[in-house]
Amino acid sequence: MAQWQEVQGLANTYLEQVDQLYAGSALPMAVRQSLAAWIESQNWRQAAEPLCSHARILFHSLLVLLGERVGSLGSDREDLTLKHNLRKAHRELQAEFQEKPERFANLVANLLQEERRILRLGQAGGQEGSVPAPSPALEGGREQQIQRRLAEFHTALQEAERAFRHLEDLQDAFDFCFKVHYRPGEEKNRDPAYLQELQSLQAKLQNLDRQRREVLAQMQQLLGRSETLQELLQQELGGWRTRQQHLCLGGSADTNLRPLETWFTELGQGLFQLRQLLRALGDLRQKVTYARDPLVAETPLLEQRLQEQLTHLLKSAFVVEQQPSTPNAGKRPLVLRTTGKFSTRARLLVRLQDRNHRMEARIHIDRNPPNIKGFRRFNILTSSSKTLLAGDNPQEGLICDFQYLTLKEQKDSRAGKGKGASGEGPLVVTEELHLITFTLAYACCGLELELEATTLPFVIISNNNQFSSAWASILWFNMLSSDPKAQQFFSSPPPAPWPRLAEVLSWQFQSVAERGLSRDNLLMLAKKLLGSKPSPNSTVAWHKFSKDGASGFSFWAWLDGILGLLQEHLKQLWKNGLILGFVSRKQEEKLLKSKRTGTFLLRFSESVLGGVTFTWVEHNETGPPTFHAVEPYTASELVSLALPDIIRDYHMSLEEKNPENPLKFLYPNTARDEAFGPYYSQRLEGNLSESQKYLNRRLIRVSSRPPNRRQTEEELQAATENLETLQLQPRGQGTPGDLGTPLGVPTSPGTPHGVASSPGTLQMVAMSPGTLQVTPGNLGTPQTLQMVATSPGTPQVTPGSLGTLQGVTMSPGTLQVTPGNLGTPQVGTLQPPGLGTLQLQPQSLEPPQVTPGAPNLQGTLQVAPGAVQVLPGGLQVLQVASGDLGTPQGTAELGTLPAELRDLELLPGGQDMQELLQGLQAPSGTLGTLGTLGVAELMPDVVATLEESLEESLEQSFQLSPGSAALLAQHDPFLPQPEDSALPAVPSLFTDLPPLHIDASDFQ
Amino acid sequence: MGQTSGHQERSEKPEVAPSKVMEAEIEVQNKKEETKEVKAKNQKLISVFGLADLKNEAIGLYNLGQSCCLNSLLQVFLMNIHFTRILRRITVPPSPAQRRSNVPYQMLLLLEKMQSGKCKAVGPTELACCLSEHRVELFVQHDAAQLFLTLWNLLKKQMKKPELVKELRDLYTICIQEHVACQKCSFEVKSKSTMLTLPLPVLDANSHRLKTLEDCLQYFFHPEELTGQNMCFCQQCGRKTPFLQSMKLVHLPQTLTLHLKRFCFERSSRTHKLSHSLPFPQELDLRQVLAESQCQADDNEKATWHYELFAVVAHSGSASCGHYCAYIRSLTDCKWYCFNDSEVCQVSWDDVKCTYGRSNLYWRETAYLLFYMKKHPQQPWPGLSGCL
Repeated sequence: MAQWQEVQGLANTYLEQVDQLYAGSALPMAVRQSLAAWIESQNWRQAAEPLCSHARILFHSLLVLLGERVGSLGSDREDLTLKHNLRKAHRELQAEFQEKPERFANLVANLLQEERRILRLGQAGGQEGSVPAPSPALEGGREQQIQRRLAEFHTALQEAERAFRHLEDLQDAFDFCFKVHYRPGEEKNRDPAYLQELQSLQAKLQNLDRQRREVLAQMQQLLGRSETLQELLQQELGGWRTRQQHLCLGGSADTNLRPLETWFTELGQGLFQLRQLLRALGDLRQKVTYARDPLVAETPLLEQRLQEQLTHLLKSAFVVEQQPSTPNAGKRPLVLRTTGKFSTRARLLVRLQDRNHRMEARIHIDRNPPNIKGFRRFNILTSSSKTLLAGDNPQEGLICDFQYLTLKEQKDSRAGKGKGASGEGPLVVTEELHLITFTLAYACCGLELELEATTLPFVIISNNNQFSSAWASILWFNMLSSDPKAQQFFSSPPPAPWPRLAEVLSWQFQSVAERGLSRDNLLMLAKKLLGSKPSPNSTVAWHKFSKDGASGFSFWAWLDGILGLLQEHLKQLWKNGLILGFVSRKQEEKLLKSKRTGTFLLRFSESVLGGVTFTWVEHNETGPPTFHAVEPYTASELVSLALPDIIRDYHMSLEEKNPENPLKFLYPNTARDEAFGPYYSQRLEGNLSESQKYLNRRLIRVSSRPPNRRQTEEELQAATENLETLQLQPRGQGTPGDLGTPLGVPTSPGTPHGVASSPGTLQMVAMSPGTLQVTPGNLGTPQTLQMVATSPGTPQVTPGSLGTLQGVTMSPGTLQVTPGNLGTPQVGTLQPPGLGTLQLQPQSLEPPQVTPGAPNLQGTLQVAPGAVQVLPGGLQVLQVASGDLGTPQGTAELGTLPAELRDLELLPGGQDMQELLQGLQAPSGTLGTLGTLGVAELMPDVVATLEESLEESLEQSFQLSPGSAALLAQHDPFLPQPEDSALPAVPSLFTDLPPLHIDASDFQ
Repeated sequence: MGQTSGHQERSEKPEVAPSKVMEAEIEVQNKKEETKEVKAKNQKLISVFGLADLKNEAIGLYNLGQSCCLNSLLQVFLMNIHFTRILRRITVPPSPAQRRSNVPYQMLLLLEKMQSGKCKAVGPTELACCLSEHRVELFVQHDAAQLFLTLWNLLKKQMKKPELVKELRDLYTICIQEHVACQKCSFEVKSKSTMLTLPLPVLDANSHRLKTLEDCLQYFFHPEELTGQNMCFCQQCGRKTPFLQSMKLVHLPQTLTLHLKRFCFERSSRTHKLSHSLPFPQELDLRQVLAESQCQADDNEKATWHYELFAVVAHSGSASCGHYCAYIRSLTDCKWYCFNDSEVCQVSWDDVKCTYGRSNLYWRETAYLLFYMKKHPQQPWPGLSGCL
């Protein structure tokens, strides 16, 4: 733009050339300098064309401006000379060009052109022949580029219109002269005046022809540039579509259509204008035409090109602005319910229409249904057409907004469809993709088109419990499908590259609780899904993501459970990073190991759907630190007591000590109350009138200390006695007197998934022998150590528990102890999860393949009867115990045991136990039979194994040697490997093994 | 009419006359000999020959009636400083009649007119008339590839000086070796031939679209089996046998011309245009595109096979009626210009990319001829004359 400025910045040699240029010019340099900007912004070349009135206008404007400039100058000495020079120039210019302004225009045009030449030379010279950098105008953002191009397009369009008007003038002049002077006939042919007229007529025609060609060339150029412009707009629109898809998936993206609408409208306007111009050109041709008239040859071509462009523009400008969504689906569009209402909206980005033409938009569902067996067909119940009107508010644009739509499945929907798709099973409902198509009969300025826009595929469900898996389908499709209309996508869904999946999963957390997944979180998830560290090329198959579930539920169901929990109860904690969330056990220990006793972290349960738990570390005076994790809390518990409050009031009872809260510092090093203080609920205290009637109460959580296990069973206690507390208590369901109580833990409605599959289980699995080894030390009572050591099936017995009121915790193998406990009615807490735990533990002395299934499976799936069905696991233990009794060497070892244990040995046969069993399973068999059954039929190897391990463990004073683990591994293919012990081996165990059935007669 | 005033202006101005330009060139050539570094020489050359062509902006050419094809090609010729360097050294024919019908001379005149004229466009009338004398008709739709060959041959034929003819050849001709080998015996025929353009198919044998220009090039140099009806007579076998026909690239010129055969002759005998997308790169390295077996050149030769896009002649419309325009990257200021007859404007690579084509847009501009320029010009190739 600022050409003159650039000229002045040239090197001296080139400045000299400029000086020379103006030395011989009728336009003094002083004038050029004074009016530099104005001169450069005029189109002198155009004005220089003959018969153009523009030149005169420009010339006079220049004189006026020059006069003004002179007037504005001050009275300085320098100004004086300038003033003088300008005045002189004014006079001279007026004198010289008054009559021939075209010549002046030509002069200026040439001067500017010459300047540009020198400028190029100078700049090229300055750069030593190197490639000049692209002009800065061509760089800059896409947006600016589009804006610039639009502006250029409009300028060029104006020029074309000017050229066209000039052409009209020329044609009128020629037409007039032709009609007046052209007199074909013999007699005048020799008249020199007439011949001269003819010659001038010929010249006029030539001129007209040239102008026509020039206008055509301009149009060609315009169309070429608008093609580029349109290409850029299409790219932008493509970007918008991708962003919209991201937004649908929960990503964050700017999906404002306003800029696109403006650009599309401007370009559309320009093209319509060009169309008008082309028609006017056609009219000119109607009036005057001649041999080789360029208009005849070229206008049809231009019209075709323009038509194609306009059509293309309008077709792409019809977009679905709002994808189908139900109003209360939160941030999950594209999942519709047959009973619910939904809305969707399309917009025409080219905001141009004929006022007097009604445009009708219609919607259709599944216009071209895919050939899939059993594909459901739907009808849109509500009105499917709408008139598209430019709203009263022009800001709104052209939209067709369909609201309160409902769908109804066609009656014969599933029958007789998809005959062609042989051999393919029907898709499940949540993998069936449907489309809504908008059609719009567009008409503007005589252009009529049928426009179409299609929504992204959506899933139609009839029940809320399909929602989660429907959403998984939507995620998968939008993440991977390249064709937005591929309704057959799930016939063979492609695997997802892990990096992409990771991003989308993170969006889910971002959209639910405003915080995505960290790198560590994703690493843990990847390991869970892929079984190993992810590489950039790792992929996850659809069924692995949404169908196969290690723990009875799929990866997605698990993750969605957590999302649900976050959404309902933990939004703030997650958002502010207080929940570490996805941490593998190994990692967890690594993190906590080096921290102070009482440092804890919050993470999600891997075995419970939608569960959160905390793990804390405890350093002992000797030996490595121990880690405790509480049984996961799920929504049903958090609904009555918020997690921060649980953390605040959590207590663990210690032997012979007052209960205390073991949670002191949130990892890495924040005091508990500092971290969670803002989230504690206000305590209602001091309300006198209320407290008159009732005592204050609040719910707190208490766990009793487990002797040597990580798993901590927590118990809810009321500060003051009341029944509500008991109801909340996971195992409170059983009445204290109930004999089933000890085993009844999984039956609690609050923990439907069973304690057996709690994360504690997993921790247990991965636990190294070393950890176990330490445990006895924890107990502090040497007898216990011995006891644990000698009875492999029952490593954990809480001796203290026998005496204390809250001797609640019985760990896995503790069943032997239990009978004794049962004697004290108020105890009654056996921890069934322990049973599962121990069985899965590779190092566990109890052969894993035996017990595993039964208690876990039953405990997990069954609710009320679980109390009974957990038993078999317990019975196994019992068998072992009795087996021990029967074997001489077992007794020999036992000889070293303290009296308590001897008591225990007797227990199996004890009357208490029999009563217990009877209580659980109405008619009961004798224990002796049971023992026989177990040893003889169920697991012939077990006893031997146990015996061997027993010896070993005794020798090594409960140091589980790798050898014993290997031994176990040898005959147990299901044994999880210590490294990847996370989740996988568990389910196969209890799905493959038939549940144990204890016949009632066995107890007789 | 508008030009008359322009010419008057011109006489008043300090202008570098054509003769002066030539002097400048000679001067530079002398200078060139003095400088020792080849690199510096090249740069000087560019800047000096640029000097001749930098004198003016890109100037349009008026359409004389269906002459958009000619105009586009003329622009491609005249914007090529390597070509104008040859053109400026032609001998002027003695008689006026000869001058009128001499294509190189008329072209030079047009060049001078474009560069000295003060108008945004000039009419190539005289050249068009001259061409019509050589059976290049006016007012007729030409095929750009065809017309390019015709023009080049006329230029070559009418440039009297042998050294200029040689330079012209060096500038444009591609040298290939054709192999035809009998599949039954060892009989083999090798022949060297030259081409002015590589006529690249955009569909493969099964009428599948080739994806990129590189694919087209590879497909072009892909050996073809001549079987069935196409069997050839083998001298050794004494009967018709299946042959393997292949082409190997021997030498590439400074200006490499590629012809995208976007027109498809269907059984219906009507030609139709293939508008699908075919991207071409701004920089083309033939060494990477072609396999070792597709070349027959030494490393020295191959080292120069690195090209930069110089011009695109694009066609819009259908096979029967259409319009040509040229996108040319000025060799002096390195900016892209679009020449639509008398309309010239500066554009960007985005605009050029629009000529890749798009399958559902049939009337859009699509690239038809591509002109690539060597990035590192080399010394005149000694072996070239041998194969001509």
